[in-house]
Amino acid sequence: MTEKASHTPYPQQVSSPETWVRDHGDYLFRYAMMRLRDRDTAENMVQETFLAALKGRASFNGRSSERTWMVGILKHKIIDHYRKDFRERPVTDLQDFFGEEERTIDSFYDALENPRKYPKDWMPDQQATLVSKEFWTTLHGCLQKLPGPTAGAFAMREVDDMDTAAICKELGITPTNLWVMLHRARLQLRECLERNWFEKK
Amino acid sequence: MKTSLDLEKPSKTPLRLSCKQAALLVSLSFERRLSFRECVSMRLHLVWCRTCTFYGRQIKALRAIFIRHEEFLHGTPPASDEKLTDTAKKRIQDGIDRAL
Repeated sequence: MTEKASHTPYPQQVSSPETWVRDHGDYLFRYAMMRLRDRDTAENMVQETFLAALKGRASFNGRSSERTWMVGILKHKIIDHYRKDFRERPVTDLQDFFGEEERTIDSFYDALENPRKYPKDWMPDQQATLVSKEFWTTLHGCLQKLPGPTAGAFAMREVDDMDTAAICKELGITPTNLWVMLHRARLQLRECLERNWFEKK
Repeated sequence: MKTSLDLEKPSKTPLRLSCKQAALLVSLSFERRLSFRECVSMRLHLVWCRTCTFYGRQIKALRAIFIRHEEFLHGTPPASDEKLTDTAKKRIQDGIDRAL
């Protein structure tokens, strides 16, 4: 992930699993929390990651750090989680869902007929805002208000920077489905941050 | 005015857009290259529409915020207090111990 010196040799073997939770637990949890909406799911993903790492530890070859290796496992677990969210729903359910997303976008624009609800003129101050713990808490609160599938698609796009084709392939949806969800997510997040953060500053 | 756009037929994009259509194109411009037609319509709209201009700037800034999430992850500023609870740590560690 962030290890810059990729040529640095890493230990060929994983550390003792007794120390994993202490050494990597919080980091993996934060990674999961940026991509999932609730603590329970995030905790479960971390646990599943450790268990998968335990099974696969013989195949760890030291080409990356132990943490990078675990993050790779966690990332797959999270995408799997979202894939199930989409693929295990009946098609009619999904159609209803995308229809609902479009109606949500409509309702934002109905509200926009009221000038007092127009987006206000604010811009996040990179320095002041982003170093604030409260800002991240607010942002996280706003993300949690998105429907699960939308939050998943948004996380893959904005947090993991996956492209349209890759996300559609994982989730089994069309590009138009994805674009509608991303647009809805952006509308809602923008509005939520305006109300809960920028207007209060 | 038609309320929704057919994203699969960029050439059918009307020259005059509603705010709803314009905002969708702004968002779409992060996802794929807009067609010439879409681009012209969007820019025309943004020339006179303050609201959509704010919207565009703000969602662009939102995207930049997510690029900073790495720092959030490392617990350095912007720090996060997100941590596994002690109970969760114990439960997860027990799970590992059982599987060992």
